[in-house]
Amino acid sequence: MSAEEIRKNVGGAWAERADGFWLDVPASRVREVAAAMRTGSTRFAALVARPAGDGLRLSWHWDDAGTLLSIVADLAPGEAAPSVVDIWPGADWAERETREYYAVAFAGRADTAPLMLRDGDEPGVMLPGRGEGR
Amino acid sequence: MSYEIPIGPYHVALEEPYKIDVRCEGETVVGSSLKVGFNFRGIEWLGQRKNITQATALMERVCGICSNVHSMTFCMALERIGGVEVPLRGQYVRVAMAELERLHSHLLWAGVAAELIGFQTLFMRCFQLREGVMDLLEKISGNRVNYSMNRVGGVNRDVTCGDEIRAAVGAIREETVRSLIPIFTKDRGVAARCSGVGVLTRDDALALGAVGPVARASGVDCDLRRDAPYLVYDQLQFAVPTRSEGDVFARVVVRALEILESCSLVEQALDRMPEGPLNRGDIYAVAPGEAVMRVEAPRGEVFYFVASDGSDVAARVKVRTPTFPNIPTVQPMVLGADLADVPLIQASIDPCYSCTDR
Repeated sequence: MSAEEIRKNVGGAWAERADGFWLDVPASRVREVAAAMRTGSTRFAALVARPAGDGLRLSWHWDDAGTLLSIVADLAPGEAAPSVVDIWPGADWAERETREYYAVAFAGRADTAPLMLRDGDEPGVMLPGRGEGR
Repeated sequence: MSYEIPIGPYHVALEEPYKIDVRCEGETVVGSSLKVGFNFRGIEWLGQRKNITQATALMERVCGICSNVHSMTFCMALERIGGVEVPLRGQYVRVAMAELERLHSHLLWAGVAAELIGFQTLFMRCFQLREGVMDLLEKISGNRVNYSMNRVGGVNRDVTCGDEIRAAVGAIREETVRSLIPIFTKDRGVAARCSGVGVLTRDDALALGAVGPVARASGVDCDLRRDAPYLVYDQLQFAVPTRSEGDVFARVVVRALEILESCSLVEQALDRMPEGPLNRGDIYAVAPGEAVMRVEAPRGEVFYFVASDGSDVAARVKVRTPTFPNIPTVQPMVLGADLADVPLIQASIDPCYSCTDR
């Protein structure tokens, strides 16, 4: 299935940018879209988190034959992100790292063991204000 | 009876910290777990506190082998946000540097693989060839590792030693065709160590998000230089070698063939390089915005997400190196393998742990 067919299957108003196609979705739709991506030669590429207002903005990225397909969902403060690791095993490390960087909880997965940090380190090292003045 | 063997973090095969605990029944691996993060440096955190000139130098320190590709990808992300067009000569210089870097990286790995296989003569030959590339990189940039070639809007230095580069690249191609490829593909000892060992299926490669030669050796026909061209790669002729076996042998062959393609790309870049400026002058900030930039590094896709708020400090820098998705592929590769093959298998992904840890 081509990237264009995937976009049609997912639906919505995809924005075409120089770096690929982007779609804003509610967090409740992320797993459905992730499942729609699981076709042909598509691969999970990355999960990016960044602060947005009081909450966080997360973007999930897939590659299909060189075309980048990205979906974006906003999380309210303290809201858990949907885990896609059962659909995309390659998202395991990305979710664990995102938890370490922004203290995001991932709903539906039992274990987000530290990846880069040591056991017992407090997650959220990239949150605004963390690490300043050291 | 099963037992667990901790290997690392000071690994016998690679001089970087990483840990793999393997569970064995007899000599057969029945499970494994991985541990990284020993070199976690918080580079994304730092990158959001340095101005973009400082951060360009910082990103070059993400990886000690493919340093150039990181500063280049960071700059290209900012150029994409700001709509900055790099002069054509600057783009060709970037291609030449990127392919020379791929050459030295692949030759380094070929040498490491030869040593792990137990072929010391081949190891010495690979490293001798690699030294030739390192000499070129030093000649161009003044440095052997961190070349400081990239800036937002172009490159800092020109490539003026074209004849020397052509001669050295020609010698590498000749030696690769004459000895490296025949030995890696036909020597019975190499075949015995590599064929059918550490298999990664195409389905596992896709599910785990494998990139670069690891994916291509498992039948995933992907290469951003062809599939999502950047710089002037769409003006150049090159093949994307793939294999379907998914074993150590396939990964060896793919990289060996890529050495030849990189030789050709360096020559094409030199031949086509037009006269003109190298960069767009001093650029200390770009307009607000965000962009993903992806580049085909020696180990596969480098993924950068950069957000700008218009100041001279990036609001968000996300770095995902190619080894980050490739390391987890070691787990299916070692499953069912002989314990003695584990060092070679995990080295066959050409891992870079320090750039993974960032």
